Amino acid sequence: MLIIKLAIKNLLGAGLRTWLNVIALSFSYVAIIFMQGLYAGMNNQMEASTIKVQYGGGQYWHELYDPYDPLSLDDSHAKIPNEISGLIKNNDAASILINQGSIYPNGRMQNILIKGIDPNQKILAIPTHFLNNQNGFIPALIGGRMAKSSGLKKGDFVTIRWRDAKGTFDADEVKVVEVINTEVSEIDNGQIWIPLDKMREMTVMPGEATLIVLKQNSQFTKNLSGWEFKNLDFLLADLRSLATTKSAGASIFYFVLLFLAMLAIFDTQILSIFRRRKEMGTLMALGMTRSTLIKLFTLEGSMHAVLAAFAAMLYGGPLVWYLAKVGYGLPASTDSFGFALGDRIYPEFTALLIIGTILLVLTVTSIVSYLPTRRITKLKPTDALRGKFI
Amino acid sequence: MKKLIFIMVILFAGALIAQPSADEIIKKVDANTVTDSQIAISKMIIKGRRGSRTVEAKTWQRGSNDSFTEYLAPAREKGTKMLKLGDQLWTYSPSTDRTILISGHMLRQSVMGSDLSYEDMMEDPLLQNMYNSKIIGEEKILDRPVWAIELTSKKDDISYDRRKVWVDKDRYIILKEELYAKSGKLLKTIDIHEIKKFDGRWVATSLTYKDVLKDGDGTQMQLDEIKLNQRIPDYILSKASLRR
Amino acid sequence: MLKFLFKGLVRDRSRSLFPILTVFIGVALTVFLYSYLNGFVSDMIKSSAHYNSGHVRIMTKAYSQESNQSPNDLAIIGIDPLIQNVEKSYPDMIWTPRIKFGGLIDIPDRNGETRIQGPVSGMAVDLFSKESRERKFLNLDESLVKGRIPEKPNEILIADDFARRLKVAPGDTATLLSSTMYGSMVMTNFVIAGTIRFGIAALDRGAIITDISDIQKSLDMNNAAGEILGFFKDDNFDSKKAYRIRDSFNEKYKNSEDEFAPIMGALPEESGLSDYMGLIDIASFVIIGIFIFAMAIVLWNAGLMGSLRRYGEMGVRLAVGEEKGHIYRTLILESIMIGIVGSFLGTLFGLIPSYLMEIYGLDLSFLFEKSSVMITGVLHADVTYETYLIGFIPGILATVLGTSIAGIGIYKRETAQLFKELEA
Repeated sequence: MLIIKLAIKNLLGAGLRTWLNVIALSFSYVAIIFMQGLYAGMNNQMEASTIKVQYGGGQYWHELYDPYDPLSLDDSHAKIPNEISGLIKNNDAASILINQGSIYPNGRMQNILIKGIDPNQKILAIPTHFLNNQNGFIPALIGGRMAKSSGLKKGDFVTIRWRDAKGTFDADEVKVVEVINTEVSEIDNGQIWIPLDKMREMTVMPGEATLIVLKQNSQFTKNLSGWEFKNLDFLLADLRSLATTKSAGASIFYFVLLFLAMLAIFDTQILSIFRRRKEMGTLMALGMTRSTLIKLFTLEGSMHAVLAAFAAMLYGGPLVWYLAKVGYGLPASTDSFGFALGDRIYPEFTALLIIGTILLVLTVTSIVSYLPTRRITKLKPTDALRGKFI
Repeated sequence: MKKLIFIMVILFAGALIAQPSADEIIKKVDANTVTDSQIAISKMIIKGRRGSRTVEAKTWQRGSNDSFTEYLAPAREKGTKMLKLGDQLWTYSPSTDRTILISGHMLRQSVMGSDLSYEDMMEDPLLQNMYNSKIIGEEKILDRPVWAIELTSKKDDISYDRRKVWVDKDRYIILKEELYAKSGKLLKTIDIHEIKKFDGRWVATSLTYKDVLKDGDGTQMQLDEIKLNQRIPDYILSKASLRR
Repeated sequence: MLKFLFKGLVRDRSRSLFPILTVFIGVALTVFLYSYLNGFVSDMIKSSAHYNSGHVRIMTKAYSQESNQSPNDLAIIGIDPLIQNVEKSYPDMIWTPRIKFGGLIDIPDRNGETRIQGPVSGMAVDLFSKESRERKFLNLDESLVKGRIPEKPNEILIADDFARRLKVAPGDTATLLSSTMYGSMVMTNFVIAGTIRFGIAALDRGAIITDISDIQKSLDMNNAAGEILGFFKDDNFDSKKAYRIRDSFNEKYKNSEDEFAPIMGALPEESGLSDYMGLIDIASFVIIGIFIFAMAIVLWNAGLMGSLRRYGEMGVRLAVGEEKGHIYRTLILESIMIGIVGSFLGTLFGLIPSYLMEIYGLDLSFLFEKSSVMITGVLHADVTYETYLIGFIPGILATVLGTSIAGIGIYKRETAQLFKELEA
């Protein structure tokens, strides 16, 4: 207890230099917590919005469905199994039917995917209710990216051509009833959404689907013949690995920042050991053992981290609180690069993150503080008293 | 290419005293369209956004299902061959010496950049097999009196759910045709500009095939030479002849 | 004077070694971090530029409206005179034509019949000309998994994953089934020269790379290309310059009614990166700011330490009658020297890992093997002109600042106290 008091006294006694170190170190805290929080927020948001509009609580895929092979779509549809029909009736699942088609904006053919979805579904956060508007035309929803690449806008009619299950050509006009701004490009690029019933009628695939999206947190994982269950771990693998790379890239930054702060601590430790040899001599003469001395100096050094934590809380706290609440604004079209991000990122600062960061910095600081003190073990009190040092 | 031939090859039929039924008309049209065999040289004039170009081909055809086409011009396409046996289509290019089965979405591609797709070539040419017919009017096309006949599909695996054809009352040759989607939307039009008589049959020698969903003027087709009822040896209509 | 101080620094290790070491480490870190951050941004710009949009890109007006569908029927015809023209007008750029195309790859069996087919997206670039930098732009040599880069006509590179799915290896024949720019179906035989891993999953799934002359021949695109990409010679994107070039080029065709007149676009708008780049700019500015500040504090600390170490020396110098101001000035001068030497060494050593990382990159792709996102898993640093200078700012400024504050102590010392202190 005594050495703790002593350490605090010494540290505060050093004045300006202590505070400079503390400030430098506090940057490490704030930077680590801020950036990790930002990444965590970003990743969770990306995951959350992808789950919300695309994956739900996992999907059943028709066994032949391959999202990367449009050729597979001709065969990858089947009647919905009874077990699933029950779920759909209870609003616990939604089915999607996918087919190839072409649209002809401006007289040029563009190959697209036509996706049929129940306008009244509640599983995915796609504003499918717009598709209820069926006044003598087929309503279609398209995403912002699709609108851009096809030149279509809300209210436009466009010719769409497809083949039904038997191969008969069919074509009709669809009306773009709404352009949805989605963060998730997978429900946007190269596709249009139309009402499921209409789609089944158009393709003569009554009661059929290509994939079934389960409600979030659904416990349903039964094996269904002809269908394969894809859980969220599978569906989100891409997104998660992207997140890992990103935060791995960012961690180099705080590693370097922490290194720099540690350089300052190390410097300070060497300096104080060098300057305070007389003091050490005196303390030893008074009966303090070398190991206690080492503890004292190490403690002084690591105390920087404690003070820095307070300092960081002082100015970083409000910043973190503000950002977590208000979010971090992004320019409108950041998502044109394909990241599923909204207009604002809400960083997530968990207790685990904050405590973990403090422990990490404290440990590293303690180690760095300890290293220079090993010299003390070679110190002879007589030499120290005379100001001689190794 | 085959489609073109079917459209073009129409037999001249003797005059009839009474107005025949729509089914009878279509049967006669079919009878005139399909020959035992024929060898034809034709041109396709494809108009694109950057001007037009002409592709020339020679086609051997037997019955309504099998045909063999060899491209003669332009130089780039010369030697490219295409074989259709039933519902399978192969293509061969001399530069690669490869025979490739065209399937899946490649069938949706246009033929040589024209408004015709390979799928269109795979159509059964016999209208009576696929459609119920009904006379819906009488008009004049190319100064000839015609019946306007509506064709609605008998089966559900037919590419075009509905067609309208305008049949020359004397010659039983189609002078105009419209292909519709199931929804009733017009997809393609065929307009015949000229017909000539070969070996006693009336054959369209110039027509325009147009995909109406696409911008542009459509693809023009021209028949330069046709020999009907020629003996076509079996080896021509075989995969081996692609590499010949 | 300078010489004297310099000798002092060299001979007294405690005066020079430790402060220089501190500056050195700090500057090296700054330099590395700066180039790392730059690399982060420029990786994104570079992969966009190299794989997609160039720093600027020329297309026909009609093509540009549908550029994401690579409509080769709307390609530029007569690229040679156009390239000569832009080479003359904008000599500090390199211009290279590219053709993107799609189709099917068909692998024959022993009898030449179809064994397996797969949809393919292809990019035809200039692989064979000596002056071409495409090999480097597309990072082909590093990405090669098996075989080699095409050396003669009708050789292709194929994505390694794709090759495995098709069960083909270098030396095998692959037939490309595609359409000419006039719409004819065309087949071309290629020999697989090598397989590559793009690190961009969308390409790894089914992409091939060929020499442009092969595709021009195959797709009937003699003297034509879908796009002409322009790159700054140093491969660093300069948005102001790029926009200037774009504007001056487009001015010439402003009044053209021809839908096949060329039109130029610059990278940010072409790639949809513009806002993202703005965001990163701000972020890196803030990050660098914080870093330089932290760095200054460390070096300030070092300065304090330096003058404290030399407490005794100062006492003697004051005692023998040296003026306080003079001592102070010599200290500052010394610190400048230390700052320069330290910054110089630090920059040098900071550049080494930066360069290594620029050249070899830090491969994190193992973290996301199954991924399908359009981003590379290899992190790079980017060394620019500023990188050489950035370290000197904190290096010298902070050292001088530290010393000048630390040196204030000199003025506080009383002559009367000196000998007492020196006895200790």
